[in-house]
Amino acid sequence: MRDYFEWAKSLTDPAKVHEKPEALEGIRVLDISYGNFAALFASSILAELGAEVIKIEPPEGDIARKMTPFGIKHKDTGLAFLAEGRNKYYITLNVYTERGKELYKKMVKKSDVVIESFKPGEADELGIGYKNLAEENPRLIYAAISTTGSFGPGVKKMRSYDIIEQARSTLMYMTGEAEFDPEVPEEYKIPLREGNWLGWYTGGAWTAYGILLAIFWREKSGKGQFIDVSPCECLLRHSNYFLQYYHESKRVVPRSGPYDPAVFAYTVVKSRDSYVFIAGYSDPNWKGLTDLIGRPDLFERFPTPKERLVFENQIEMRKEIEKWSLERESDEIIRLVQEHNLDETKTGTVVVGKVYSPKQASENDAHYERDILKIFRDPYYGELLVQGSSFSKMSETPGRIKWLCRPIGADNVYIYAKVLGLDAKDLKLLKETKVI
Amino acid sequence: MKEDFYKKIFDPDKISEKPEVLEGIRVLELCNVVLGPALTDFLAEFGAEVIKVELPGIGDVMRTVTPSFFYYRNLSPGFEEQNHNKYHVAIDLRKPEGKELIYRLAGKCDIVVDNYRPGTLDRWGIGYRQLSNLKPDIIYVACSGFGQWGKNALRVSYDAVAQAESGLMHITGFPGRPPIKSGAWILDFQTSITGAIAILAALIYRRRTGKGQFIDVTQIESAIRMMDWTWIYIWLTGKDRERVGNKDLAIVPSNVYRAKDGFVAIAAFTPDEFLALCSAMGREDLKKYKNPEDRFHPEVLEEIDKTVSKWCEEHTCNEIESLGEKYGFPCSKVLSPEDVYNSEHFRARRTVWMLEDHLYGELAEVQAIKMSETPGRIKWVGRPVGFDNEHVFIRLLGMSVDEIKSLEEKGVIGKWSDRKGSSPPEDWDGKAGLFF
Repeated sequence: MRDYFEWAKSLTDPAKVHEKPEALEGIRVLDISYGNFAALFASSILAELGAEVIKIEPPEGDIARKMTPFGIKHKDTGLAFLAEGRNKYYITLNVYTERGKELYKKMVKKSDVVIESFKPGEADELGIGYKNLAEENPRLIYAAISTTGSFGPGVKKMRSYDIIEQARSTLMYMTGEAEFDPEVPEEYKIPLREGNWLGWYTGGAWTAYGILLAIFWREKSGKGQFIDVSPCECLLRHSNYFLQYYHESKRVVPRSGPYDPAVFAYTVVKSRDSYVFIAGYSDPNWKGLTDLIGRPDLFERFPTPKERLVFENQIEMRKEIEKWSLERESDEIIRLVQEHNLDETKTGTVVVGKVYSPKQASENDAHYERDILKIFRDPYYGELLVQGSSFSKMSETPGRIKWLCRPIGADNVYIYAKVLGLDAKDLKLLKETKVI
Repeated sequence: MKEDFYKKIFDPDKISEKPEVLEGIRVLELCNVVLGPALTDFLAEFGAEVIKVELPGIGDVMRTVTPSFFYYRNLSPGFEEQNHNKYHVAIDLRKPEGKELIYRLAGKCDIVVDNYRPGTLDRWGIGYRQLSNLKPDIIYVACSGFGQWGKNALRVSYDAVAQAESGLMHITGFPGRPPIKSGAWILDFQTSITGAIAILAALIYRRRTGKGQFIDVTQIESAIRMMDWTWIYIWLTGKDRERVGNKDLAIVPSNVYRAKDGFVAIAAFTPDEFLALCSAMGREDLKKYKNPEDRFHPEVLEEIDKTVSKWCEEHTCNEIESLGEKYGFPCSKVLSPEDVYNSEHFRARRTVWMLEDHLYGELAEVQAIKMSETPGRIKWVGRPVGFDNEHVFIRLLGMSVDEIKSLEEKGVIGKWSDRKGSSPPEDWDGKAGLFF
């Protein structure tokens, strides 16, 4: 095993990332989104993989820079924007002016990918929609992100927000405290959002996936295409079997809190010092779990999923498991489980996890060893703790961070000179006429 | 006119006439449960030929994971959700002839996806080290909870372990109440889409250089990556991130409110959206908080939130949605699986994808992003264990009938047991749905 781990590490060693090539080198992406972290995450992924991402903002900046907890800013930039600013170039351009539109079209002509988050139809009204742009650049890959998407009888002219994407995905309807647990006060038996921007992050990942599929296709066919992304539909795709089950049974499973309608044990219980997630749901693994906690009687009473999927039984079984866990610290539980799993004389595999607060998680050196959390020293923003790239463990073309973010318009000189050949005089004029 | 343009390029009736971007890409799935099978599912949706290898007999664990012990013509919804368009073969990987078969299959594949415990397939002689000797340009994705190396590599994980240990569960739920695990296996799916993106990047790189690669994706890293501003906030303030119910600490207003007949999500961060919301509520006095940054002040936040909350109680979801459209602020009812299933909009977009399956009859599936040139599609749904043995072994490997028989007798390959979820529908005629 040691030999395997060492070999695997030698292939994907974080220390060697910057010596390796980038998969998307030579791909130019324009991110003209506004107040939308699905788009920003999508362009972050492409930038981590080596694409040249140019973030186009209005002269006063993307309002996403202001979406930050309690309004806190660091060097005039919101914290969420800082997290998704990596490796991008920052230019300003007012596409609501004629000259701005003209420059935008020129940029698009020299780019491979556009990511936008206009209200459906808005870009077309401005004369900078896919139809106009694709006529000039048939190789263009164009991803539009909106809540309802660009077609269908329910298209609405509204911008995408995470809370609304979560609300429309079915996931929010299905997440929350257990409806069938009599100990839960009624006021908490309501739909609950996932604490992070899950709707946006899921939509962003699918946007990046669609773009890569389109790049792959374009290399074969020479053709670009339009990708219509509705983040709530992406999250619906991640929402288990909810839709299938409704079609087949005309039933909806209840919100289940620490329980699960399809498996038990797959539950969260209190320990002496925090909470732990603990699971053993197939028959042998449930046997393993009941052995571990010294309660073979539970296995005998609830031997198959038929008994274990009855909610009243789940409440009872969870209480019994909690009696055991409450007497132990979480770390001890994790150790006992690991010993059980590595002991070949024992039955089944038990799975356990400690519920950490984010701050506790940020103190776990395993995440730094794997480079998914890192203290990054940015030339402008200084030292910050950020999430690494989830693509950093690709052996040949690892994802990486080169810089964290840049202020509004910080790359105007470089990008306008490089892409459009504009000189100092041109830029001065554009500034005076409030185009940039 | 412009809407017609999008209707035309996304015409659902034309989907089957259009090309598939991953046609000709063959994938070997050595996986179980959700993370892994969902990854290859995302590839199969766009045309990859996925050969799913299961153990003879009961097959993938998800075949028996289903809410309230419900099966639909012997199909478990928990298996159905991430198994579309695949070819199902059953091989006992632990037998020498089984390994031999894997070598023969891998020799004809572009991609291998594995979600066994790190190092397991390597120990069995069918991991990346061995398969890349056989076929150097193979792209190999190893999926796990904590990675192929590092101090947690030996730990077993499920989706909820990563929800717990990343801090995601801690920030999900109501203040003063327990942390809540998501209603869906979100990290299995998010890690799967991460792996699918990595594979596309690797395919693009392979086309350019001829090189394959090894990719290590994990649940914990997907979780940490998508926790937006969490890490920078902890670093800068030294504070922890707590759960706050449905509020959004970085966007005001953004919340879920109780309406007369359901729940509704509302967000209005930009000045125009906020003014629209104030107008709809008839609250001119709140228009002084037009600047989004003024709304982070705790008292202002409270005032706005209470006002919106009270206003929603007096209206139905429909009324609020109509007002949102009329005035221009984003909102949506919190949709149940039933709402989505019956929605004309999701049906017209083929997000709710109805099909008449050869084995199971009428089914409802989910399709996420829309691509104009190379749309994704659902062709069939999770088939019984070993259902495609003959199709794959004869057509792809050129096996003789005698060889198949002999391997069957030795238990190297096999088919379903009579257990629910692994076998065909009870009234199966012995022919329907077979490709060979």
